[in-house]
Amino acid sequence: MNARLDWRARGARTLVLASLVLLALAAPAARAAETLNAYSIWPENWARPMFDEFEKATGIKVNFVRFSSGEALARVIAEKNNPRVDVLFGGPVETFAAGIAEGVFEPYKSPSFAKLPPRMRQADGQWIAIADDPLVFMTSDKFVKEKGIKPPASWDDLLNPVYKDSLQMADARTSGTAVTRIFSILEVNGRDENKAFAYMKKLRPNVQLYTKSGGGGTLPVGLGQAGGGIFFIVDALDTKAKGYEVTISFPKEGIGTAAEGIALIKGAKNPELGRKLIDWATSPAMQGQFAKYKINFVPAHPDVALEPGLAVVLKDAKIFPIDADYAGANRKRVVERWIAEVLNP
Amino acid sequence: MAVTASAGPRAAGAGLARDPALALVVVALWAGLVLFVLYPLAMLLARLVVDQGHLSLAGVGKILTDRHQLQAFRNSLLLGALVGLIGTVVGFAFAFVAARGRLPRWLVAVIDASVLLPLVSPPFTTAIAMIFSFGPRGLITYELLGVKGFAVYGMWSTLLSEALTYFPIAYLTLRPILAAIDSNIEGMARSLGASRARVFRTVTLPLCTPGIANAFLLLFAASLADFATPLILAGNGFPVLPTQAYLQITGMFDLRGGAALSFALLVPALLVFVLQRYWVSRRQYVTVTGKGAGQTPADSMTPAVRAALLAACAAVTLLIVYFYALLLYASLVVALGANHAFTFAHYRTIFTDGAKAIHDTLIIAALATPLGGLYGILVGYLVARRRFPGRGAMELASMVNYALPGTIVGIAYLIAFNDPPLVLTGTALIIVACYVFRYGPTGIRATVALVSQIDPALEEASRGLGAGSATTFRRVTLPLIAPAFFAGLGVVFIRSMTAISATIFLISIGWTLITVKILENITELSLGPAAAFSVLVVAIVFVAIALISGAMRLFRAPGAAPVTSLLGG
Amino acid sequence: MEAIRVRVDGVSKRFAHRVKGEVYAARDVTLDVAPGEFLTLLGPSGCGKTTTLRMVAGFETPDAGRIRFGDDDVTHTPADKRNIGFVFQNYALFPHLQVAENVAYGLRVRGVAAAQIAEQVRDVLALVGLAGYEHQFSSQLSGGEQQRVALARAIVIKPRLLLFDEPLSNLDARLRVQMRDEIRDLQQRLAITTIYVTHDQEEAMAVSDRIVVMSQGRVVQDGSAEDLYHRPRTRFVAEFIGRVNLVAAQVVDIAPGVVTLAALDREMRVSHDGAGLRRGGSARLVLRPEALEIVRADDARAALEGVVTARSFLGEKVEYRVRCVDTSLQVVRHNSGTDDIVPTGMTIGLAIASPTAAVLPDDDE
Repeated sequence: MNARLDWRARGARTLVLASLVLLALAAPAARAAETLNAYSIWPENWARPMFDEFEKATGIKVNFVRFSSGEALARVIAEKNNPRVDVLFGGPVETFAAGIAEGVFEPYKSPSFAKLPPRMRQADGQWIAIADDPLVFMTSDKFVKEKGIKPPASWDDLLNPVYKDSLQMADARTSGTAVTRIFSILEVNGRDENKAFAYMKKLRPNVQLYTKSGGGGTLPVGLGQAGGGIFFIVDALDTKAKGYEVTISFPKEGIGTAAEGIALIKGAKNPELGRKLIDWATSPAMQGQFAKYKINFVPAHPDVALEPGLAVVLKDAKIFPIDADYAGANRKRVVERWIAEVLNP
Repeated sequence: MAVTASAGPRAAGAGLARDPALALVVVALWAGLVLFVLYPLAMLLARLVVDQGHLSLAGVGKILTDRHQLQAFRNSLLLGALVGLIGTVVGFAFAFVAARGRLPRWLVAVIDASVLLPLVSPPFTTAIAMIFSFGPRGLITYELLGVKGFAVYGMWSTLLSEALTYFPIAYLTLRPILAAIDSNIEGMARSLGASRARVFRTVTLPLCTPGIANAFLLLFAASLADFATPLILAGNGFPVLPTQAYLQITGMFDLRGGAALSFALLVPALLVFVLQRYWVSRRQYVTVTGKGAGQTPADSMTPAVRAALLAACAAVTLLIVYFYALLLYASLVVALGANHAFTFAHYRTIFTDGAKAIHDTLIIAALATPLGGLYGILVGYLVARRRFPGRGAMELASMVNYALPGTIVGIAYLIAFNDPPLVLTGTALIIVACYVFRYGPTGIRATVALVSQIDPALEEASRGLGAGSATTFRRVTLPLIAPAFFAGLGVVFIRSMTAISATIFLISIGWTLITVKILENITELSLGPAAAFSVLVVAIVFVAIALISGAMRLFRAPGAAPVTSLLGG
Repeated sequence: MEAIRVRVDGVSKRFAHRVKGEVYAARDVTLDVAPGEFLTLLGPSGCGKTTTLRMVAGFETPDAGRIRFGDDDVTHTPADKRNIGFVFQNYALFPHLQVAENVAYGLRVRGVAAAQIAEQVRDVLALVGLAGYEHQFSSQLSGGEQQRVALARAIVIKPRLLLFDEPLSNLDARLRVQMRDEIRDLQQRLAITTIYVTHDQEEAMAVSDRIVVMSQGRVVQDGSAEDLYHRPRTRFVAEFIGRVNLVAAQVVDIAPGVVTLAALDREMRVSHDGAGLRRGGSARLVLRPEALEIVRADDARAALEGVVTARSFLGEKVEYRVRCVDTSLQVVRHNSGTDDIVPTGMTIGLAIASPTAAVLPDDDE
C-alpha cells in the first residue's frame, strides 16, 4: 500500500509536469517554414488531393481546415486583425465578393490572370477563379419512378405537388450553393426580386430540409430519403459516382454557374507561399488534375480541356454565369430577405 | 500535487494567512475560475449590452423579440420538457426493471452496457441512425413498414433521438435510488393490506419523487443544451435555440445575435440549476450509500407487469443495439444504401485524412483529462473540508460552466479570447480550458460527496498517531478521495472525446476535433467516414472506461461510484 | 376480533448462495401457535427465524409446506391479503409521510372513512404514548418513538396476527427492557396471536409464552422458557439459553428415571430418562452456574471440590471461576449482602441443586 501510494503521488506530480510541458508545446507554435495555412471551402476529399499534389510539386505543405463558405468567410472576417490563414481556397466567388466589401483580401494577379475570361477573375485580383461549377437538378431515380414523373426540366417542374416535403437544398445562411441558387432564380426572373421570391415561397412547401452545406442533400437524394434537389454539379456527379441512382437534369430556363475562387488573405503570415499556391491553383497545373481525382469541376483556365464525361452531361444545358458584382452587392440583403420570407414565413 | 500535499486536513481556525500553501492553491484556483469562467461570461454579457461603446439593449431586444427566435425559444423549452418527460419515464422503467426485476446478473450487465452506448457516443450517432431508419426511405419506415414519404425531420424525430440519447441519465440517477429503498418499507405497506400497484403509487413513487424530479431536470438541461441532434434532425420547421445561435454566428457572423440567443438559453438553464441545488437536494428521502440493501428486493411486480416492462426495455435496448449495429455496418460498406460491398476504406480515410483530428483530439483529451481530474479533487476537497474566505462563492463559480449549455460557453470563450488582452482562439489551450472548467465539476461533485462521507475523525486519528498534516493528506485523505479523482478523469476524458456544442466554436486551423470532423462528414456526403469516426470514438471511450475502472480496482477505491454513473449528472 | 391459531406445517425455503450454491434458510419448520399465544422464534443470525417469519407474513413464498391462519390456507396468499401487523427491526416507517399518515396507511388502504381514521389514529397514538406526534416526520423521532409508531401502525388495523422481526435490536439497553415490557403488555391486552423473532434469549424469555429455538434452518427445541433452560435437549440449546457448564462425563448406570454418571472424579445421580445414552458411553453433564453452590470444602452437601481462580463482583451477583479437577466451572452466587466474598485461591466445596442438572448425549453437536 505504501509503495503504491508513493508511486501514485509521484505519478500525479509527473502527470502535472508532463501536462505543463505538453501545454507549452500545444501553444500555436510557428510551424515549419514551408507550410502555409488555408481555409478550404472545398470538402476535404477534393481539397486534400489538390494540396497533396501542390506539396509534391513545390514542397510546400498546406495546413488546412474545411468550413462551408459562410463559416469560412465569417472566420476570415472575424480574424481580420490577426489572420490565422494565408489563403481562402475554393467556394463560390460571390462569397469572395462579399469578402471584398469587408476588406479581407490582398489583391494578387497570378500569371494565369491575363488568360482568364473576365468573369473568372476579379478586376483588381482580389480573387481569381480556379473552377466553374454549374448548378443542376438532381433527382432520385427511385422517387421519379415511384411517382411516375420525368426528371424536372424546368424550374416550374419543381413546384409540382408530388415533390411535397421531398426536396433538399442548401440553407442560405451557411452555404454558397444556396446563394448561387437564389441568384439563379433571380436571373431567370429577370432580376425581379418580388417575382423570384414569390417563386421561392411557392417552392417552400416542397422543401423537406434546407441543409447546412451545399452538398448536404445529395446523400438523402441518393438514398431516396429525399426526392431531389438543387446542387452543384460536382456534388451531384460525386453522388452518382458513388453508385447512388440519381439523375441530373437542367431547367430549360437556364441555371446559374458559380466560379470557384481563391484569394490571398490580407495580412497573411506567409504571403509568398500563399501566392505560390494561387499561381499553381489558377494554372493548368492544378486544374488539369481534376479528372484524375474525379473532381467534376469545369476548369476555369481555358487551356484545360473539359473531361469528356463531364462534357456529355453539360451538352445542351443552358447555363449562365452569376454576375459576381451584382451578387456581391446584394448578397446580404437577399439572404436576409430569404431568411425572413422563405425560411421562416 | 506537491502543493496540496503540504496542505493539511481540516484544522480548526487555520486561515489563509497561517497556511500559505492553502492560500497559494486557493489563489491559483480563483485565477483559473476568474479567467475561464467569470471573464468569458462577463464578456458575453458586455457584448450583449454594449453597442459601439454605448450601453444599449436595442440589438438584443430586436433579436429576442423576433417572432422566429421566440418560436425557437418556445421550441427549446417544449423539446426539453418532452425529452425530460419521456426520458424520465423510460429511464425509470429501466431502473425499475434492473433494480426490482430479479433479473439474472448477465442481463443487467447487458442492459448497463447498451444503455451506456448513447451516453458515451459522439453526438449525431443516434441522429444519423434515425435518418437511415425512419427517413422517407428508412430501413424501418420504408423497407420494413412500407410507409411512404415519412417525414423524419422535425420535432418528433428530434424528440425520439434525444430521449434515446439522454434517458440513460435518468436510468443512472434513478437506479441507485430504487435499489436503496428499504424493501421492508414496501413489504410493510404490503402487510398493511396495500396491493402491489398501491404500494408503487403510495410508497415507491413518492420515495423516488426527488430523484425523478432530478432526472427530469437533468434531461431537460441536456436537451436544452443539445446542439447536434437538432442540427441534423430538427429540419427547418422546428428551430431550437442552440442551433439558431450557432447558425447566427457561423452563418451570418452575427456574434451579438448569437450571444443574445445563447443568453436566452441561460435563463432556463440557471433555473434548472437552482431548482436542482436548492429544491431537489433538500428532499431526498432515500440515502444512496453505494451499499445494496441487504434484503431480497421486494416482490414489487406481478409477472405480467414484469414481462411487459421487460419487453418494453428489451425493445428500447434492441433499438439502441440496432442503431449502433447500423453505424458499424455503415462504417464497413462502401456506401450505405447504394453499395454494400465490404470495405475498410473509411477506416483508412479516417486514419489518413482524419489523422490530424484524431491526433488533436487525443492530445487535447490527454491534456484536459489530468488537469480536469486534478481540478476536480482540489476544488472538491477545498470546498468540502477547508475553511477559507469565499468558499461558497468558489463552489458556485466552479459550477457555472457545468450548468450552462455548451453553446453559451463556446460563444463566451469565442468572444472573450478572440481579441486582446488574451488571444487564445486558435490554440489548444482554449479547448483544454473549456473541457477542464466545463467537465471538471463532475469530479468536484464526486469529491464533495466522498469527502462528506469521510469522518473527519479519520484525519484526526492520523494526526493523533503522529502523522503530520502532509502525511495525513497523502496517506489518509488522498486514498479516500482517489475514486473521485478517477471518476473525474473518466468523465473529462469521455467528454473530451465526444463533446461538440462548446468546442465547435473553438476549433481552428491548428486544432480540430473528431466530433467536428464527424459533423463535417455528415453535412457532406461522407457517411462512411462519419460512421467510422463514431465507431472509433466509442471504442476509445470504452477502452478508457475499462482502464479507469481497472485503475479504481487497483487502488481498491472504497465506495467508488462507477465512472459511468457520473455521466448523468 | 377472535384470536386465531397459526399453523406452520413442514415449511422449507431455499436460497441461492453465491459460494455454497443452494442453501436451506428454513427446513421442514413446523409451528403451532395457539390463539392469543405469544410465540418467540429464537436463534443466532442465519438460523432461519426471520425467513420463517417472512413466510408467515407473506413476504416470501415457501418452497414446500403449508401455512394456515385458523382454517385459511394462506401459503400462497400475498401479504396484503393476510391481515397481519408487522414490526420491522428498522421500523420501516414511510419517510415521506408524517406519523399520523404512517399510522393511517393501513386504514386508508382498507377504505375506512376519514373521520374514523382520524379517531383511530388518535386513539392508537395515545395507546403507544405518542399523542401530539401526529405531524412529525419519522426523521424527527428518536429510535424509541419510531418503534412506537411502527407498533401503532401495525396494531391499528386490528390484525389477525402480530409479527415482530427483532423489533428492539436498534434500541439501547434500557429502552429495550422498557419496550419489551410494553409490547408484552399490549399483546396481553389486545390478545392477538403473536410471533416474535429475536436472537436475544433474555428478551425471548421475558416476553414469550413459548419459545422455539432454531438453528441452521431447523427447529431444535420448543417449550416454555423454564423447559428450555432446565431441560435442554441439545448442547446447542443448553449453550444458547443462559450460561452453562458442560462437563464431560461417563455413563455408569441407567436406571428408570435416573442416570448415574462419573464426572470430575465423582459419581453422581441425575434424573434423566436415559434417552440417547448407553452404559459406558460418554455424555455431557449440564450444570447451570447458579445451580452450583459454594460451600465449605468439608460441608456434607459438597458434591465437588475446587479452587477459586477468579471472581468478578457485579453488584447483584458475584461470578466465580472454580477449578475442579481439570475443568474450569462458572459459578454465580447471589449477593445477599451478608455473605463474605470468597477469596481467590481458596479451596471450596460445590453443592449441586440436582433438579437443575441435565444430561446430554455426547455425540450432540
